[in-house]
Amino acid sequence: MTTCNHCKHYFPLDEDQTKGDCVRRVEDQRQSYYQSKPVEANKDASSCPFYSTK
Amino acid sequence: MSAPEMKKTILDFEKNFEWWWAAEKKRSKRLDYLRKAIWKKGAIGGLYAPGVKVDLERPVLQTEKAKELEFSPDPYVVKFAKMIAHCLDNKTIFITDHAQLVGYTGSLPNTISWDPSAASILSEEVYNDPTSTPEPVDKNLKIIEEVKAYWSGKTDLDKMMPHFDFDDLMKILSGSISWGIPLTRGGYSGKDYEYLMTGKRAFQDIIDQIDKNIEDADQKVHQPTAKREFFPLYEKMNNWEAMIIMLEAGIRIAKRYARLAKIIAENFETDPKRKQELLKIAETCERVPAHPPRNLQESLQYDIFIQMISRTEAIEGAWPARPDYYHGPYYDKDVNIDKTLTKEEAIDLVGEFLIRAAEVCQFKPKWSREGLQGIDGTWVWTLGGVNKDGSDACNDLTIAFMQAARLVRVANPTFAFRWHPRVKDEVMREIFECIRQGLGYPTLRNDPILIANAMHWHKHPIDEARTWVHQACMSPCPTTKHGFQPMRMANATANCAKIMEYVLSSGYDKTVNMQVGADTGDPRNFTDFEQVFEAWVKQMKTIFSILVRAVNMARVIGPKLTPRPFLSSISERSVESGLDVCEPSISRGNAWITAFTWVENIDSLAAVKKLVFDDKKYTMAELKEAIDKNWEGNEKMRIDFVRNAPKWGNDDNYVDDIMVRCLREAAKFSKEIECPCGNTWPILPENVSGNIHYANVVGALPNGRRLGDALYDGGISPGPGLDKKGPTAVLKSCAKIDHISDGRAFLLNQRLSPTQLEGEKGYQLWKAYIRTWADLGIDHVQFNMVDDKTLRSAQKEPENYQEVIVRVAGYSAHFVDISRKTQDNIIQRTVQGL
Repeated sequence: MTTCNHCKHYFPLDEDQTKGDCVRRVEDQRQSYYQSKPVEANKDASSCPFYSTK
Repeated sequence: MSAPEMKKTILDFEKNFEWWWAAEKKRSKRLDYLRKAIWKKGAIGGLYAPGVKVDLERPVLQTEKAKELEFSPDPYVVKFAKMIAHCLDNKTIFITDHAQLVGYTGSLPNTISWDPSAASILSEEVYNDPTSTPEPVDKNLKIIEEVKAYWSGKTDLDKMMPHFDFDDLMKILSGSISWGIPLTRGGYSGKDYEYLMTGKRAFQDIIDQIDKNIEDADQKVHQPTAKREFFPLYEKMNNWEAMIIMLEAGIRIAKRYARLAKIIAENFETDPKRKQELLKIAETCERVPAHPPRNLQESLQYDIFIQMISRTEAIEGAWPARPDYYHGPYYDKDVNIDKTLTKEEAIDLVGEFLIRAAEVCQFKPKWSREGLQGIDGTWVWTLGGVNKDGSDACNDLTIAFMQAARLVRVANPTFAFRWHPRVKDEVMREIFECIRQGLGYPTLRNDPILIANAMHWHKHPIDEARTWVHQACMSPCPTTKHGFQPMRMANATANCAKIMEYVLSSGYDKTVNMQVGADTGDPRNFTDFEQVFEAWVKQMKTIFSILVRAVNMARVIGPKLTPRPFLSSISERSVESGLDVCEPSISRGNAWITAFTWVENIDSLAAVKKLVFDDKKYTMAELKEAIDKNWEGNEKMRIDFVRNAPKWGNDDNYVDDIMVRCLREAAKFSKEIECPCGNTWPILPENVSGNIHYANVVGALPNGRRLGDALYDGGISPGPGLDKKGPTAVLKSCAKIDHISDGRAFLLNQRLSPTQLEGEKGYQLWKAYIRTWADLGIDHVQFNMVDDKTLRSAQKEPENYQEVIVRVAGYSAHFVDISRKTQDNIIQRTVQGL
């Protein structure tokens, strides 16, 4: 199964490898930024439009 | 563009008073990027700007946690704290390119946060708002519907409603006499800055103190001999537990930002300078809010985190702050002592701090958006003033804030300067330059008068009164343990033009078709002015009482039903006592009634006295008939009431005495009614955009007004174009009011000519005006200094005038972000020649 921890946007927590942050770059109409969202390492990423294998 | 060419262009712009183009050229590349990166969050015509969307992440997170906790045995305050902590732990966070400060209530820069647990009627507005639902619309409307359905019956307002007097509630919700809803989690929250922002402690220190309090309490309740005096400790331990949950969540989200900054630096960023900046952000967020700040960046970041968390806990409609006073020591350390920052680098930080504040937004009900056009809430930051010992408190950061404001030109936050006789000339020049460059701020506040006012009305000791900040637009509030007010419900805001309307209708409101005011009898039977005035006093007391009763009730039951564990955790009186911060018994109180649409009463009473009873030109029956018909078929009579009755603001005792008499009746009543802290309820005439919002709610009045006409623009400002005798006459009228004892404060708008106030001569003219204003004991004045030509051009080509700012009422807004009616109203204001 495709899971978040195999994605290049996934950064695991040092203190707990079962969790991490999904970090992506976004450019909207006014600004560019990096966003971060907490995710579980084994979260199903098969329908994630931003998934990209490490 | 070369440096000399750029300089020539800047001078050209300044010569033509095109300050916004000059600012664009003058500010650093970083500030220019960040300024243009802002998504405009103020509503325009009651609607949010294109591209701005309601944030669904927080409502979904809060709802999922609420469902999980539904059968938990935790008391509500602990459950609520866990819900908010869950939102903070799991929300999306972001760091904008070139930013040095981080933290936002929404999940993305273009989102506005929605609290689904505040009020069901607010959630209905979210659902029905045609423009702010994010894509894909159908899917997200379903999510909104599900969230709304879960919280229906469970929101703060749903819980509070059964406790209010039904009659009062219907009158308040009719929207005719008041503005706002009485909620502890929806208002203007002061902060105990003396506890939190003097460098003595931060979140971890408070956690350690609360842990000790819990331990002490736990020991007591487990003593072998059970005692009645220990019963309250059980509830206190719950409150303390909730406070710790909030503080720990605050520390965790900061560390999330630290982590993100490090990830970007180590994995994405290639520019070495930006890498260092990101690592500095990481270091800053590891430090604050857990520990006290050590430098300016940490101090500003600490402030942003406090505001972010507080605005996740509650819908905050204001931003009481004294940023030069509390951040000043760190500016001094970095720029003057350690020299770790240049002035330019400090200005970049300060300018960005203003930008971070400008982009804050929480979804507000339509009446709020219409009353506060172009902004989310009134972020009136207090500068200057005096220290607790009475010495001048202005510092280098006072100046830096004003210089940064001229570069970034945000309308919100806006500044209010506490003037006193010892303010240095260099500071006065900075104030003047901000006003001259058309920011509409700082407003000037007469510090000695307002300190005395705070002591008179609310019995704050002098050293506490001297700490005062603007709790919202105008009203002073200390930043001390018992002095600060944790919420001020907008609901104690009276649409005062209705007082006069009800005199003529015996309390019946034709707009909402219900009896709202008192039955003061058929006005056609009034045979002298005193009977009219007696009816006016009765209507005034009736309206004020309805509002005060509702707010008092909410303040008393709020702490139990709708607690504020985060605000409690950063307030000394709550950390010490274990009681919710809104609990009246631990607060001195700082209540006031905002009096919208006040001067209409004065001009109307003067007109009735003159034309009906003195000149005997009309009878009361004829007046009532004309008013009931909205002056239709009586245009000649209406013009008579407009032109031939004396008007406020012309140094005319005939009408000025009526103003003073009305205020003193209200002041007398203010001391008869009580807040739950046992303190008074003084009135404060000012308007925000109420003069436009209520235009179709207030009927015809004896000052010649028709239903639908804009009301006067605010406070004790004369009606637009009705002040005919020049600026000194306006001041002399205002000076007849006792600004210490006749009310809480009194807003005065004045419009000045940009060409008259050029150069050194212009500065001296303005300074002389301020001297007169101060000597006359007037507490407030604010200026618009933008010419008609610029404003009319901005109406035609708004895209070229995005950063033109005007002073609306107790706040500033970008001219292009307010309604056409408000724009025209501002243009109509008399330009005073000094």
